[in-house]
Amino acid sequence: MQNTVSKSQVMADHTVTVSRLEEVVSTSDEFDRVVSQALPVLLDRATGYTKRFLRETGQWNDDIEHEKFALRWGSEYLERFLVCGRSEVPCRPLFLFDSLVAKQHSKPEPFCYHPDLLRPLGRFLDGLVARAVVSRDALIALYRHSYGWGAGEVIAVTGLNGLESQRIYKNFRRWRESGWQRTMDEIGLTKTELVELASQQQRHRQRFNGEAERLIRVAQAHYRKSEPDHYPCLSRAQWREMFTQGYGCDYRIWHLALCLDCMQTAWGLGSSGSLTEEKPRLELLVRP
Amino acid sequence: MGYEEDLEAYRSQLLQSLSNPLSRSVSGVLDPIQVYINERRVGELEGAGMDATLHVQSLDHIETIQLRTEDGTLLGGLVAPEYGYRTSRVQLSSDAVELCVHNTAQGGSLNAVFVSKPSFWSRIGKTFADVADRLAIRRPDAAIAHSMRTVAFTQALLAVMVVGLVLDRVATWMGPEQMLTSGVQPEALRTVSVTDMEKLEQQVGALARMQEKVGEALQSQQNSMAQLHQTMAKLSSSHESVASRVVMVKEEMEKRQESPGPETDRTTPHPVGRGVVDQEQLEMAIRSLTEDNAKLSREVASLEERNQTLTAKLHTASVNASKAVDPNPERLLATQGDVARKNQSLQVAESRQNSQMQPFLFWVTFSEGTSQESIDQWVHEKKGHKGSINEGWQEVQIVPPAVPPDLFLEQIRGEKIVKAARIRE
Ligand SMILES: [Zn+2]
Repeated sequence: MQNTVSKSQVMADHTVTVSRLEEVVSTSDEFDRVVSQALPVLLDRATGYTKRFLRETGQWNDDIEHEKFALRWGSEYLERFLVCGRSEVPCRPLFLFDSLVAKQHSKPEPFCYHPDLLRPLGRFLDGLVARAVVSRDALIALYRHSYGWGAGEVIAVTGLNGLESQRIYKNFRRWRESGWQRTMDEIGLTKTELVELASQQQRHRQRFNGEAERLIRVAQAHYRKSEPDHYPCLSRAQWREMFTQGYGCDYRIWHLALCLDCMQTAWGLGSSGSLTEEKPRLELLVRP
Repeated sequence: MGYEEDLEAYRSQLLQSLSNPLSRSVSGVLDPIQVYINERRVGELEGAGMDATLHVQSLDHIETIQLRTEDGTLLGGLVAPEYGYRTSRVQLSSDAVELCVHNTAQGGSLNAVFVSKPSFWSRIGKTFADVADRLAIRRPDAAIAHSMRTVAFTQALLAVMVVGLVLDRVATWMGPEQMLTSGVQPEALRTVSVTDMEKLEQQVGALARMQEKVGEALQSQQNSMAQLHQTMAKLSSSHESVASRVVMVKEEMEKRQESPGPETDRTTPHPVGRGVVDQEQLEMAIRSLTEDNAKLSREVASLEERNQTLTAKLHTASVNASKAVDPNPERLLATQGDVARKNQSLQVAESRQNSQMQPFLFWVTFSEGTSQESIDQWVHEKKGHKGSINEGWQEVQIVPPAVPPDLFLEQIRGEKIVKAARIRE
């Protein structure tokens, strides 16, 4: 009985919130106020849309992995809405939100979906590479998690100059301090899952890294689309040219982090001679 | 942990990070700000530098712009209009980034300017010095120096005026004191001082008025400087983009020599053409800048005004355009009849959605003798934007009203300044 009462109360609150979101807001501050009071409603709404999109496109399954995937993207859309929506006033927040989500879902591949990317290892890799697209810290950390390198090795491999090197150290530090944990929270990897990943790797090192390489290729191919248009894969001669002439610093950093093949192609062109012996293989590091 | 609890914990965690405003406030941006267009990274703004600029030209339409820190925190952004301009200011604690996006049939362009916190005048000085340096490299006799001197001279003139006023004031106050010390009779002193006090009051009044005028002049001067500053920033950004394109072209040429692949063919012609065009534009801009400072300020001011009207007009249009792209997110789902809808309230909201997505357009004529000002005021009160005028009918665009259109028109017609209103042109 009590449960029924509280449920109907929740329903009533929900209706009030939704109708407030349907009204016009005129200023950015008002937008912030109204929207910040309705985060749960908006998150559920975006998650609902994402679920339906997955169902529609035959990518849905009734399990916790899919539920988490929908939640993660729902929250991603909501974050963008919070920041971009405030410049859209006057508007009716609810409809603006719906149209932003609809716009995302009308893109050819709104997110990186692959059933294998929904299991813990896949989620870890997908989350990592997705984060690298929006965060330079995460991008640099990809070198660490993929090949186990420290800042000095990253600088040597990508052939950076002094000024750029300073940034790499900063990227490493921030990632260790907060970036990694934040990314794990974002993709919803629990402590238990992380421990399980590490133990899997210990037990079957080769199989684990082989599987990781297969999955990271899927994620890289999808997220490389976030690179500037003029960053395609290059031949070894082209990479050499870039390294020796010293241009394309950004190109090197971005593309090599997100392309296993080019990393092997361009191997040894950087400044460090000691690294030139054997081409790098994926050796996944779970922790930073 | 069970399925439900696990999911609920994840949901709470996401909500917590979304509702944490700290994650979006930045204390003193020192690292470069990453700029994204349509969720692709396009470059960065040097946060620590003074008034850094980034100019991006894209062959595709620009849909969204996002600014992020290196750790991925979303600082701000905007949704670009389908066509035309849109500007937005993203405040980052004490600094700010000004975004200006422009979409045309040929593609889009973005101008992002980082405005750092140092005082207004030091910023102006730095900008002028920067621009002067850059131009000096190109033309040793840069005529820009002339207009800079004009600015400095006007400032000096104002300073002299202020000093003059102060002296004047001191002299006026000195007057009665000298009379006091000149040993006149107390009786005479009172009569003298009463008339003198009246005079003095008048003088003080006149002084106050003059001071006010000077204050206004200073204010307008400051405004002109602000506008000049913007022009300079724009100019320096296009200069930078020319320089960066020259580098890009060089790289492309080198790459081409090495391997004449189809990839490089695709991009090369654009930078070259644009670079030349930009350079010509820059030359012209420099020439026009040598004109009189006051004239430039006036021009910029009027441009700015027009731009603001344009932005305001485009504002609603862009909101609605972005909404109109896909007014019904259920479109995909509509094809499948058996989709179970769990959320009742979603249903209600969505059924209303179609009718309310489009901007509401109506035409109106005003009573005889209504001033433009009161028309503008009226449109503003409606939170609307003026469209075209056709045979005395003014087009007005507003966010769809909460009441049915007929009722809304009736309400409008009831208003004092409105002569007639209708929905069709
Ligand atoms: Zn590649």
